[in-house]
Amino acid sequence: MLERLGSRRLLILAALGLAVIVGTVAATNLADSAVYYLTPSEVYARTVQRGQTVRLGGLVKTGSLSLKPVSFHGPNEFEFVITDGNAEVRVIGQGAIPGLLREGAGAVVEGSFAADARFVATQVIAKHDEVYRAPSPGATPEHRTSFP
Amino acid sequence: MIETTFPRGTVLRIRPWLGIAAAATFVVASVMALLWAPTDAVQGDVYRILYVHVPLAWLSYLAFVIVFLASVGWLWSKRPVFDAIAVASAEIGVLFTGLFIVAGSIWAKPTWGVWWTWEPRLVTTSIMFVMYVGYLLLRSLSTDFSRRATRAAVFGIIAVIDVPIVHLSVLWANSLHQLPTVLRVSGGPALDSSMLLTLMVSLGAYTLVYAYFLSARISLELARQERMWTRT
Repeated sequence: MLERLGSRRLLILAALGLAVIVGTVAATNLADSAVYYLTPSEVYARTVQRGQTVRLGGLVKTGSLSLKPVSFHGPNEFEFVITDGNAEVRVIGQGAIPGLLREGAGAVVEGSFAADARFVATQVIAKHDEVYRAPSPGATPEHRTSFP
Repeated sequence: MIETTFPRGTVLRIRPWLGIAAAATFVVASVMALLWAPTDAVQGDVYRILYVHVPLAWLSYLAFVIVFLASVGWLWSKRPVFDAIAVASAEIGVLFTGLFIVAGSIWAKPTWGVWWTWEPRLVTTSIMFVMYVGYLLLRSLSTDFSRRATRAAVFGIIAVIDVPIVHLSVLWANSLHQLPTVLRVSGGPALDSSMLLTLMVSLGAYTLVYAYFLSARISLELARQERMWTRT
């Protein structure tokens, strides 16, 4: 009985040990290497090739966002600047953009650099924070207001 | 021969009330989430899916921690009831994780602008889902009860490590998913008190649903075990 109990406890300890090792490796290595997007500074530091598909993330620079319809039924053309405070990238593209995309808020764009150093986005993702608040009296929730 | 020491009579008497309590709290939570809680200043009404998404996420974590504890229990004591608890909780955990991913996807489209993206929280959650589907598959590889339970228990102990990884993945640099709202790194919960109350009632409702499902599924598993032993 003692012997059996010993092997069982060994199994528990082995499984726990393996769990801790897997967890530590995953937590320490993944957090550094699994990069979802690059900031503009990182893009310039890594010298991303023209045409190479990357994700770029940062804040939409205040006053940089413009949206114009090409034709009544055609896709929209958008243009804005992604900044991380130190470096910035001018982003252009066509098509739908998320309703939460706002100046001063976070965004992640997927696409590649064109010859003129502008970033051609094939997909725009808006980032929002973890804060939820009721609107102040008389205010309309921003998501419902029409886009500038 | 086989003693389960599971207070079956008490559970059978309590379970209908647990079901009624779960259904009633669920109705209250839904009314609070859809009608009583204020809208969000940034996202508008779409944020209300938080009251489904977050409780499902927390209950997935809880379900897999229960799998872990029951797995340790089986390896420690070899009491079959622990294996029944583990499989019951794993099945409900997979269900809740699936719904949690679907609810997150429905929330992501109108806010982020995409149904899915390979972002750390989403990737680690998918891994968690696939691991526990694998756990359930692993259980069908052997017909020998004791061997099956031991293999499953070892896997159930190792797999739980993804739960803290999922929770902490939002803290990794350059990710998309927002940070935790209630369990913040610094400061109190970042939502209005009426929103927090609604979230807590929703959490209570989903916990009761989980407890009801768990109790029903454990009974089913114990009946299966009994039938298996009377046959052999």
